[in-house]
Order: sequence, then structure tokens, then C-alpha cells
Amino acid sequence: MTIASRKRQIVWIVALVLGLAVFAALTLRVHMVRNDVLRADITIVALKKQKQLLETEFQARASQHQLARWNRVDLGFVAPRADQYLDGRKQLAMLGQPVAPGAPSPIRVASLDAGEGGAFAQREMVSPISGKPITLASLDAPEGAGDVFADAFGDFLVEASPIRQAKAQTGPVLLAESVE
Amino acid sequence: MNSGARALGAEQGSLFDTVPELLGAASRARAPSAPKAGASIPFVQPYSASAETPARPYAVPESLPAMRERLLNTARTRVLFLVFAFAAFALLAIVQIAWLGMDGSARPNRPHAGSLVPPRGEIVDRNGAPLAVAYPAYSLYFYPQAMDGTGTNPLVRDPADLARELKAIFPDMDQEAVAAKLAAGKGGFLRQRILPEEANEVWALGEVALQSPAILDRHYPQGRLASHVIGGVADDGETQTGTFGMEQALDKQLSDPDLRATPSALSIDVRVQGALEDEMNRGMKLADADGAAGVVLDVDTGEVIAMASLPDFDPNRVAQEDAANTTNRVTFLRGELGSVFKPVTVAAALDAGEITDLTAVWDASPVETGGKVFEDYEDKGSRLTIPEALAYSSNTVTMRVAGKVGGKQLHKVWLDLGLNRPVDIEISGTSKPFFPKAPWSDMTTKIAAYGHGFNVTPLHLANAYAAMVNGGIMRPATLKKVEPGQAVPGTRVFKASTSQKMRQLLRLVAKHGTGRNANAAATGFRVGGKTGSAEKLINGRYSSTRIIATFAAAFPMDRPRYVVVVALDEPKVTHAMAGRTAYFNAAPIVGNLIRRAGPMLGVRPDNTRDVDVSDLEYLLKVKR
Repeated sequence: MTIASRKRQIVWIVALVLGLAVFAALTLRVHMVRNDVLRADITIVALKKQKQLLETEFQARASQHQLARWNRVDLGFVAPRADQYLDGRKQLAMLGQPVAPGAPSPIRVASLDAGEGGAFAQREMVSPISGKPITLASLDAPEGAGDVFADAFGDFLVEASPIRQAKAQTGPVLLAESVE
Repeated sequence: MNSGARALGAEQGSLFDTVPELLGAASRARAPSAPKAGASIPFVQPYSASAETPARPYAVPESLPAMRERLLNTARTRVLFLVFAFAAFALLAIVQIAWLGMDGSARPNRPHAGSLVPPRGEIVDRNGAPLAVAYPAYSLYFYPQAMDGTGTNPLVRDPADLARELKAIFPDMDQEAVAAKLAAGKGGFLRQRILPEEANEVWALGEVALQSPAILDRHYPQGRLASHVIGGVADDGETQTGTFGMEQALDKQLSDPDLRATPSALSIDVRVQGALEDEMNRGMKLADADGAAGVVLDVDTGEVIAMASLPDFDPNRVAQEDAANTTNRVTFLRGELGSVFKPVTVAAALDAGEITDLTAVWDASPVETGGKVFEDYEDKGSRLTIPEALAYSSNTVTMRVAGKVGGKQLHKVWLDLGLNRPVDIEISGTSKPFFPKAPWSDMTTKIAAYGHGFNVTPLHLANAYAAMVNGGIMRPATLKKVEPGQAVPGTRVFKASTSQKMRQLLRLVAKHGTGRNANAAATGFRVGGKTGSAEKLINGRYSSTRIIATFAAAFPMDRPRYVVVVALDEPKVTHAMAGRTAYFNAAPIVGNLIRRAGPMLGVRPDNTRDVDVSDLEYLLKVKR
């Protein structure tokens, strides 16, 4: 055998070993992925079981008897009367017709613009009587007084103060706005 | 470049014609880097090399042809070996693919998904709301081997001390018995169903042998709701077996490993069931009644939408004091239900052609039969029309109508309505009615006409009313959900025209007669129905104070879809109830229920629609 042929043999063997190594690595990889899938599946099954558990708890807490009890004691809802049903879009649209002259003013319900930077959020606070912008008395106080006040009363102030924007924010955010 | 290999193949015939090609392909790929043409096949190298390079002095001990032969053989053997190896691999792969393809038991992709299948199938209502589920409940288990594997020394502290500490967590625990159990060192349950916080407290004791495994238990999330329908199971630790109710009726399906993954749907609607139980509870308390039975039936399919029997029990914890309440009053407790059967008599007469004119006037004076005189509960005049007789619940007119129909025909109608046999329903716990044998005497016929002399259950009554208003078809009641179009055909009991007349008559009774309270409570639902207040037979004598008050109704009367029957057992005159008859107690329950449950059942209240009663309504306004 010549050196060249031996070299070639070695090359072949190396190629074979390389192939085997790649095959082994691939097999390992496949098993790894499969194990990952199995583990994910176990997690899914466990979560589903947990979900069943929670659902059962919800169902037990919101059973028909419990709902009826709550309704009787707290809510007092009754089934709608026949005249409270609407027959279709036309009848629904009739509800939005402009009020006739002399009719009692419609009941307005509070609405809330909770959108970020909505018109409501940017509007300045005005006096309901004069229509002029008003400033909170506490904000006229010397620099730093608001902080001291806020520190002392903290969230209580935020909760209790009638003059604040009705935004779904709590704690620091509101506090920062009211003392700005 | 592979000329050597090709030359070999050519010289040795075509045995390996393809192999040199194969090898050639491999060598071709390396050709650019190969130093010499034809040098890339290692096992033919010596021959071709010797032809092109100077032979080494030590390399030629044998003759050239012999060497050539030997090398050739080696090459062939190697090629053969390679081919076989490839073929074997290919075969293996093909066999495996075939195996996987044909054998269904190949390894599952999700081996753990099976643990989501409950040990016993779920029971759900018609809309899929769970009524009975498998719920993993914690239990307290003593496992002596947990400590050292042998169980010789299972506990850290003294068994008596530990029992005392356990008693602090579970105050109702028998301390001595538990101490003895712990001392004996034998494993077993110390307690079934403990709360998670209790399990935590036990865990905090630090005893390894006290474990709290979560064991799948049967749980009824709606609690007392529809407890009589669902029933219960007996658990022997291994399997759960239904003992009564639908748990028993569906036992096979619920415990079958192939079927239990899919929940079994009942015909019950939990919302309606909840409303029925709530209204019955309220009405029962207001009237201070001993018990109540109520059922809502779909007239076109026979599905039981709601079925309630009060007092009820909690299936999650069947206590000793509740044992008597497991009787289902709707299917088991029978009694003379009284005047609610008057419309059935009228329907039988209409069907037989004995009543052709509903405006005709009947004699309402006392009836004498079998040596006894029967008169009306309340005198409404001596001459009444059929609508009046029903609205004022006249016994005498109904008896005369029955007399005209005859015992044979009335008996046949009663048989057609299934009043002589246990009611058709899946659950056990039905009772055989008390039913007089044919031929019926004049007196039997006449008292049967107003619901006396035979004992049936409220479900019998609901079935009869369904047949009366749905066009005349009698269907068995069912507690299994019926898919659209799958309802049993049923048998015809009344003509469709009779059914049409009965809708009018029942609507009139609810509008102007004894069912007024139901109509008032459910305005717009076009309720029709009839009251019945039958005195109970106590020791062979009718008691005037112990009655069964029943209201049987159907709605909406212009196209009846549901029948509602509510019966109260021994209602009393209370501060809330001015009287004990069904007019005061049962009718408002039904009215309130229809108002609540009607929209859930797809019936919209509408004040502008109704069954046309204009041809009869005037009869009730005319004072004779």
C-alpha cells in the first residue's frame, strides 16, 4: 500500500466518523426536541388540570343557588317586562330620536374617556360656575409644601380628594399630577 | 480518471457494472484535488499505481497476475460488503416505515394526554355547563414506609402527641382512634377530603409519613341544584358506581374507557333549573308547605328542561338527615292531583265528539252517583258553559261531561296518556300509579274526570298536558338531550283540532279563571293553565286542611313549547298566603318561573300576540 492510498483510507475513515458523529448529533438533537415536546406536553396537561380545578371552583362559587342568593340580597334584578324588549333596529334607533319640545330632559350618565391623551385628559379643570380655569388651593402653596402634604397623607389624599381626574390610575401617577 | 475501475469492471465481466459507477461518482467529486487520474479508489490503487509508478523493491513477492487476482477479490468483497450494508439499512428503514404506517400502536405523540380523561365521565347540562365532574380532592393518608422505607419507625414524635396535634387541625377527629392507627403502623386513609389549608397545616407538622395525595373524587359544582336528577355515586376506593339518578342511568356510558372522555349531556338547563328551584323554595316557604315538586317539559321532544323536588339534599355530602330527601317527588310521590285533570276530561269529550259547541250550557246542579252527592266547591250558578266550568273549576259539569263520554272511552284516553303505568324516564325511582281496573263504574268515571280515584305523579300530569297542547302527540319524557330532529315520533292521543281548542280553553282559565295569578306574574308570555287543589286521603277520609296544590301550565299558548307543573304538598294559610289552594300558592310560582325562565328558553314576552280566544272570551264576562 502506498502512502497516498493510506491517506485516502484515512480520509474515508474520517468521513465515516464525521458522518457518524453528525448522525449521532442529529439523533441527540431529535431526542432533545422530542423531550422538549414531551415536557411541554406535560406542562400543558398540568395546566389543563389546573384550569379544570379553577373552573370547578368558579362554577361552585357561581352556582345558580349562589347567584340567586346574591341577587335577592344585593342586586335585586328582575326579569325584563314585555315592553322592555325591542323588536329590531328601527325600534332601537327610535330611542335615539331628538327629544320633543317640552319633554323632560333625558337622564345623562357619566362617561369616561380613558384613552391615552384623550380630550378629556388634556382639558383643564374649570369652574362649573364661571367656566374659568381653576387652580387647586394646595397647588398655590409654596414650593415643596405639596410634597410634604402628599408624603403625610399619601394615598389617602388621592382617594379622598374630590377634585381629580377620573382616570384609571392609582398611587404615584395621580399624586404626581395633582402636585405638579 | 476512474479508468482503472472501469477497466477492472470491463475485464471481469458485468458482475459489478454498476459498482464502479458508484465508486466513480465518489471519486469524481474529489477529482480536482486528486493528485493523479484514477488514484481515488483505494482498493484498486495497488494495481493502477504499479502501472504508473516505479515498483518498490520489497513489494513484488508474487507474480503480477496472481496479485492482480487477489486484489481484485479483495475489492469485490469490500464492494459486496458495502452493497449489503446499504441494502440492509434501506430494508431496515423500509420495514420501520411500514411498521409505523400499519401498526396503530406506534408510540403515541402525547403519552400524557390520557391523564386528562376522567376516571368517570362528566355530566353536563344541555348547554355544556358541568353538573358532575372529577375533582382532585386532598385526603390525609398515613404511609409508614415514607420515613425509612421499612415502616418500622414511621413517626418522628409519639403517636398520641401527633394525634393531639391532628385533633387541633381537625376538631371533629376521633383522637384515640387516630392515635391507635398511628401506633399500629399500618398505612391507610386517616381522612377523606381535607381542605388545602388543612393539608398545609398537616404538612407543617413535619411528619413525612402523613401525606395528602389529591384523589379524583366525584364533585357536583352546582351543589344542591338538580340533585335528584343527577343522583349520586358509591365509591369503593377503586371505582365509582352510580347509585341513583342519572349517575345510575348513564353508568355504563360514564365508566366506559372509550366513551368517558366525552361528557354526557342531559336535557336539563341549569339556568331554568336554578330559577325553578329558587321560585319553588320561595313559594314553599311563603305557603309553609311540607314539600314541592316541579317540572318543565319541552312539549315537542319530551325533554325535561328542569325537574326539582324539595326539600333537596347536597350530593357532595349526603348527610344522614338528608337521606329521606333523596326521594324524587316528581317521579315517585303519587297522589290524587284533582282538578288539573278537568281539561283532560274536556279534551277527551271534544275528541269523542261529545262536546261540539263550547258555548252550549251545561247543568251545574249537584251530581248523584254511587249513592253519594257531589257538588261544586263554590257555587257559580246552576248553568255553566264549558269555558266557565273550567275557569271556575266546576266538579259537577266535568262529571256530567265524563258521564256523556262514558267510562270506556275515558279509560282509554287515560291509558293512552300512560296514567296507569310508571312514567317513562331514564332514572329509577318511579312509582306505579294507583289506577282503578276496567271496566270503570259510573262513579269511578265521574270522579276520575276531576282527578280523583287514581294516584299519579306530577310527571304523569306534565306528560298529559304536553300531549294536550302540542297537537295531540304523547311522547315519553327524557332526561337525555335530544338533538334537533331526533325526537321520538310519539303516539297520537288527541286530534290536532282538539289540541287547538284546548289551547284556547287553558288560556281562558289563566286569563280569567283560577290561573289568574300565573298570568299576572308572566305578562306577555301567553300562559295557559289549570289549578288543582286535591284533599289528601288521610286514613280513608279526605282532609280539608291537608291538600296537594297543583298548577299545570303551558306557554306560549299561541304555539305551546313548554309545560310547567308545580305541586305543593300541604301548603298552609299563612300571613303571606290568604288561602291554601293552588290559586294562592302554586300559580304564582309558575308565573314567576315563566317570567324568569321564558327568555332563557327562547320565548320572548310579547303583549301584542296571543292565541285567539275572542270566540269564547265573552262567555266568561256574561253573568248568567
